[in-house]
Amino acid sequence: MSRLVPKAPSACSDLPLDNAEICHKLILLKELLTSSFGPTGKLKQIHNNIGGHVVLTSTSSVLLQAISSSQHFVNLIKTSILNHVSRFSDCGLFAAVLCLTLVELAKQSGLAENVSVRLNKYFLDLCVSYMQGEDCGCRVKLDFSNSHNLITLARSVISSKPACMLTVQEVLHISKLAVQAFLLTLPCDKPGTITLGRTVTITVEGYSVLNSEVFTGLLVDVTCDLCLNRAINLNSGALPVVVFSTSLAGDFSELGEGIIEVLAGVDSESQILEQLLELGKQVVKDDVKLFVCQKVIHPVLQQYMRSQGIIVMERLGVNLMEPIIQLTGAQPVATLHSTIPASAYGKVMGISIKQIGSKTMLHLQPTRESVICTLVLCHRNETVLRELKLVCQKTEHVLRLALKDPAALLGGGCTETLLAAYIRHKCNEAEAAAQLRCSQSEYLLGMEVFCHSLEYVAKALDHDGGDSLIDLNHAHHWNQPVETMKNSLEYSLGNCGCGLLRNSPGMKWTYLNTAYSPFSASSSSADPTAQPRVLDSFTAKLNALQVAVETANLALDIRFIIQDLN
Amino acid sequence: MLGCSVLNCRQHVGLQKLVAMAGIAHSSLGPTKKLKFIQDDSSGESALACSCHRILENLELTCAVSQLVYETVQAQQRVFGTGSGCLLFLAGAWSRAALECLHRGMSVSNIISALSEGIEICIDVCRKSSISTDDVGVVPSKSLQASVKAIMVPSREAFHLKGSISVGDKTLNISGQRKIKLSRHFCGVESENLSLAQQFHQPKPPNIHHIAEGLRHGCINAMNLVLEVHQMQSKSHEDISSSSFDISQVMTCVVPGLPEEHASVSSGCIVLLSAEQTAVVHLLKEKPLKVAFINGDLSHTFRHVGFIRPVRIHRVIDQSAMSGPTSEEVWMVKVMTLLLNLEVNLIVVSGHVSKNVIQCCCSHRILTVEKVKASFLNTIANATGGVAVTYASQLNKHCVGTGAKVTIWRDLSGTERKLSAVNISTSGRSGLATVVLTSCVHGKLQLLEDQFWACAYRLHHALKDKAILPGAGVTEMLCIYQLQKQAVHHPRQKSEETENPYRGEVLPLMAEGLIDYISTVMVNTGKFSKVTARTLVNQQLQDCAVLSDFKAKFSQILLDDVTEDSSSTSATSYDRAQEMKIYDNLSVKLEAWRKALDLVCLVLQTDAEIITSVDQKNVGHQNLMFL
Repeated sequence: MSRLVPKAPSACSDLPLDNAEICHKLILLKELLTSSFGPTGKLKQIHNNIGGHVVLTSTSSVLLQAISSSQHFVNLIKTSILNHVSRFSDCGLFAAVLCLTLVELAKQSGLAENVSVRLNKYFLDLCVSYMQGEDCGCRVKLDFSNSHNLITLARSVISSKPACMLTVQEVLHISKLAVQAFLLTLPCDKPGTITLGRTVTITVEGYSVLNSEVFTGLLVDVTCDLCLNRAINLNSGALPVVVFSTSLAGDFSELGEGIIEVLAGVDSESQILEQLLELGKQVVKDDVKLFVCQKVIHPVLQQYMRSQGIIVMERLGVNLMEPIIQLTGAQPVATLHSTIPASAYGKVMGISIKQIGSKTMLHLQPTRESVICTLVLCHRNETVLRELKLVCQKTEHVLRLALKDPAALLGGGCTETLLAAYIRHKCNEAEAAAQLRCSQSEYLLGMEVFCHSLEYVAKALDHDGGDSLIDLNHAHHWNQPVETMKNSLEYSLGNCGCGLLRNSPGMKWTYLNTAYSPFSASSSSADPTAQPRVLDSFTAKLNALQVAVETANLALDIRFIIQDLN
Repeated sequence: MLGCSVLNCRQHVGLQKLVAMAGIAHSSLGPTKKLKFIQDDSSGESALACSCHRILENLELTCAVSQLVYETVQAQQRVFGTGSGCLLFLAGAWSRAALECLHRGMSVSNIISALSEGIEICIDVCRKSSISTDDVGVVPSKSLQASVKAIMVPSREAFHLKGSISVGDKTLNISGQRKIKLSRHFCGVESENLSLAQQFHQPKPPNIHHIAEGLRHGCINAMNLVLEVHQMQSKSHEDISSSSFDISQVMTCVVPGLPEEHASVSSGCIVLLSAEQTAVVHLLKEKPLKVAFINGDLSHTFRHVGFIRPVRIHRVIDQSAMSGPTSEEVWMVKVMTLLLNLEVNLIVVSGHVSKNVIQCCCSHRILTVEKVKASFLNTIANATGGVAVTYASQLNKHCVGTGAKVTIWRDLSGTERKLSAVNISTSGRSGLATVVLTSCVHGKLQLLEDQFWACAYRLHHALKDKAILPGAGVTEMLCIYQLQKQAVHHPRQKSEETENPYRGEVLPLMAEGLIDYISTVMVNTGKFSKVTARTLVNQQLQDCAVLSDFKAKFSQILLDDVTEDSSSTSATSYDRAQEMKIYDNLSVKLEAWRKALDLVCLVLQTDAEIITSVDQKNVGHQNLMFL
């Protein structure tokens, strides 16, 4: 008997940005993300309603993943930013804050949505062409012959995550390790297509951050102490390795769908075990010294191989498979029903035991110059260690992005104020307004929305009630801490946000929320030897800027939301 | 769905929660602890808890801060086995300090940098005031003593001179310092010099009894048991000197129903067995036995970890097979034949042993012992020359160990359903020791076990660190003194970093937390009221300040003398060590303090809680905002 359930009609609501609830939620989301932004950002405790694990973070990828709204409009923005983060790892909060501010300010300005959209697009193009242009004042060329800028770039990423709880010294140590690990994954003098290697990250809880280290080759956690009964120190030449990706547990996990009928007297398990032991015999005959399996190995097979002097590593996990294949050059064997082809064997140069904190590790040395390295991260507590691991992975990604486009942007809010000053300076309302089919006043209003949004992001870096300023020579971003507000500006300012400029006589500042007459920012620094102390990834930030403006435009453009209620 | 509660920044709710939670730790500080009953009103169950981590274990923790606290305390307990009360108390005390800072309008980043500076000062004090375990309670050899005196006398003179002149004569000061530096006892507290000092020493074992006495913190019986275990270990491992204590080779066995005086230590592994198995023990006792070791369960259905049981396999049974033996019977016959062929008398299993197997083994005079921790199993296996296997079918001649012995440690018939405690020992010394803890009160057993382990961990860490701290609040006093002093003036740093403007305000607040700690410990002894305790502490601190006026020049080296009684002319760490009877662990304390401050800083930096999967319709919380 079938029953017909009438379909509920779809719900359609118009003008989402006029909806008070949606606006309120957007503001809430903006506040939540703004307060997490930057090196002094506040952390968020993420946990579920029942109790259980607590995550402390200020990282956009974790925050945005935890957030889900009852309003699809909010989720749309969230997903768009999350996409950016998954591709570029950095500048997620920048994109989110800029996008939400653009939407909010555009709404407040009273401009027609379509005009806002057109103007935003125009200013975005202006920014992008400036950032890619020759005379860009906020771009720094990255020099790979010198690690200084690379370390600065890494340090900027790491120090922008306060949940790692690092001191200045520890930040530097981790930044150096991140760069070292990154450089180890770059293949040297190989012609043709270059494949980048991998950094495997291992975390050890309860030790000082300064104990963290980078190793060439692969460190694998050895859980069972049985494997280490005999002292392993094999360093004599290349040792043959075999890697299995299939389970050798002796079960039927490979069989797939369908029902198998077995006669009661037949002992299927012992038959599989026999097959496994056949495999063991071949491995012994082929003089393998290291037997690795992604999954479980039957204890009988393990016992047999150990008795033959083979080092057995089981339950390696899927994450370590690719690194070990790259390291050894072995082909993973996916079946136990055929003989292992000779080409499947790989090699390692040496195997030794390393004791790191409470963990016992097997250190596999690569045969030739290898692009696999292991980063061992130590921290006192599990919660912060988890964040540190994530941040190190992001740093590696950011460094890799720099390979494609060896450039970086001034950090600390200086790029934002520079862009805003550039737009204001480039402003030619009569010509542009005609081109954009809007009135001159609309143009000016739209420009203020865009510039204010950029400046808002720069201001969002401060969480302690200080003041944000822009200098009227170079258009860099300056912060006046709340304690020094009593003093005059000349005495209370030290360095600009990115650290390139120092407070010097003759400099003029104005507060970021006040109007200033447009000027052309001079890109020549007073001190030519000065190096920026905060750098952002060029690729990531450029994309973040585009994502932010395009998402904001999309949000401004939405007229109806149709919701299927079935 | 998601809720989000924003915390008011001037009255940080998270820190307030931390302060509230730390209230738990008050009664479990110091040597005189008060027990707590935790009662569940809905089920009527109750638990007796004596330490901070046991209390937390028995509480239902719902808020995020409490989860963080619990994770941190667990981590401390897992690695150090002690110090969680101190951790929680200081987390609360320093939260209060942080709240006060917020109230005075300081920015979060300034508070955090000042707090971390404060903990660095404390850690520095601890490092400098730590005493090498080699120097504690050791009577130096005659010649050494003479040379010590020779070095000591002039330096002491310089010392007195300084005192009487009161305004420092520079040349004298320098010469005095140099002399002091030459004396290893004056430098003995600094770690790099410590190793130097050890080179001069004949490697002699530290005075374990003296150290243990200082570390027992009121648990006299438990520490005596620990000492007994230590003696047993140092006898069995002559190669390893008695200057270490391996707690991984110690197991506890709790026996209810016997008076507490029956607690004892024996070498080997003691387990409780049923009447049926006891009968087998009677047959086997005092004979050298062959042992098999099974890592896993001993039953026909057991499969190794990671084995996926087939679900889509149908067994096709024909008529003739119906009457035949079941698969379990087949397995049992196979295993039994194997065991009998190998002449195994004893099977030690890390998992469970099925009832049928136990019975069958008993009838063949084979003793089965289950639920032995894998690490102990491996120890016994190594001592007997056996190898642990996963399946009984893997057993062969090479896997079977020889020379094990079983003896009945005590017949407990009539007490409970487990009828006897049996000791499994090996002829080759395994180093394994079992501590049997007994009590007539069932609820007290866990408490006794906890006390034993706390003492064991303390001795273990003292010997591992090769250093201990002066206890009974002396270290804390030094930290308070140093924090208060550094708050007023501090050595100018060379770095260009601007100085934290609130340093002078935050450091005394941190010191206040430590004062609170000491006075709470004093209150817990029952001899003082909170007010008198605080007055006493403050009085002592003032005495320090007066004393230190002339000692300030020596402060880096003589710092540790500051809180000695005014009669303390003895300036060597040796004499000092003789005077002090109570010690604390160095690494345990440092780590607990660090963790406490980490907790405060993490919570302090948090401004919002994101709660996932909240149902908007039935919201319990009032001040949630929904996204």
